[in-house]
Amino acid sequence: MEATSIDLRRGYHQLERLLREIAVALEKEDIPAARMDLEKAREALDGAESGGGGPDALRSLDHALSYAHRVIGDLLHEKGLPPHSPADFAGWYDAGEVPFREDW
Amino acid sequence: MIPLDRYPKEITLRNDARAVLRPMVPEDAVELWNFLRQLPEIDKSHFHEDVDRREVVERWAASIDYDSALPILALQGNRVVGSATLYRNRTGWKQRVGIVRILISPDHRHLGLGTAMIREIRHLGEKVSLNYLLAEVIEEQQAAVRALERMGFEKAGVYRNFVNDRKGDLHSLVVLLHPLSGLGK
Repeated sequence: MEATSIDLRRGYHQLERLLREIAVALEKEDIPAARMDLEKAREALDGAESGGGGPDALRSLDHALSYAHRVIGDLLHEKGLPPHSPADFAGWYDAGEVPFREDW
Repeated sequence: MIPLDRYPKEITLRNDARAVLRPMVPEDAVELWNFLRQLPEIDKSHFHEDVDRREVVERWAASIDYDSALPILALQGNRVVGSATLYRNRTGWKQRVGIVRILISPDHRHLGLGTAMIREIRHLGEKVSLNYLLAEVIEEQQAAVRALERMGFEKAGVYRNFVNDRKGDLHSLVVLLHPLSGLGK
C-alpha cells in the first residue's frame, strides 16, 4: 500500500503528539534508557520531516514509532503493568500481519 | 555502589501473572539450583562450572559480590523463574562495559519476562554509568537475539563455530552491544 503525502503528514503529526505525551509521562520517571529512546524517536521524526516524503520519510516514521513503543514499554514496566505488544494493535495496522510477537 | 532501592519490584507478565524482581541473596541458593538444572542444555553452555551440581550453586550464592556480578532474580513465590546478571569489571579497560546474561525458565517464555529482565539490566547499566552493555548469545537462541535487538542491542558480530557446549559440539556466538547514555558523558 502506498502512503500519500497527506498520509505521511497525518502520521507525522500523530507521532509528534504521541511523543509529546510520552515526554510528559516520562518527566516524573527516572528511566534514563527511556529518555535516550525518546530522543532517538524525536530524531527519527525530524528525519521524516526533512526527508521530503516517500519511502525514506515512511521509514523514519516507522523508526520513530518503534522507539516510542519501547519507551511506552519502559513506562509500563516501571509501573508494574503488563507489557504491551505491537501485536495487540494489529487491528489498527494496514499490514496483513504484524511481523513480530513476544518471543522471550 | 550500585543503587538497589528499586527492589523488590513487582511486574506483571503477559498472562497477568505477577513476578517479583530482586537481587539474589545467599538464601536463594536452592531455588536457584532448581531453576538452573531444569534449563535446556543450550542455556547452560556459557557456565564455567556444572550448575546441575547443588554445591556449585551454593558456593556461588555464598560469595555474591554485587559490584562484580549482580544477579537479579524473577520469583513467583519462592520459585525462581528467571535471572538476569550484570557482570562488571571494577578496573581496567572494560570497566565501562557491562556483560549481560539472562536466563528464563522454559515455562515462562513468551510472556515478556525476558524483555522485562533486559529492561532491568539496561536500567542498572544506566545507573552505574556504563558505556555499553554486551550480550553473548548462541545463535540457536533466536528468541533471545530478537528480544535483545528489539530492546536496542545491535549485532556487533557473529563468530562461526566459536564456542562449544558441554558435550563439545560447536556453536556460533552472536555478540550484541547496547550503547548507554554514559557514552555521551
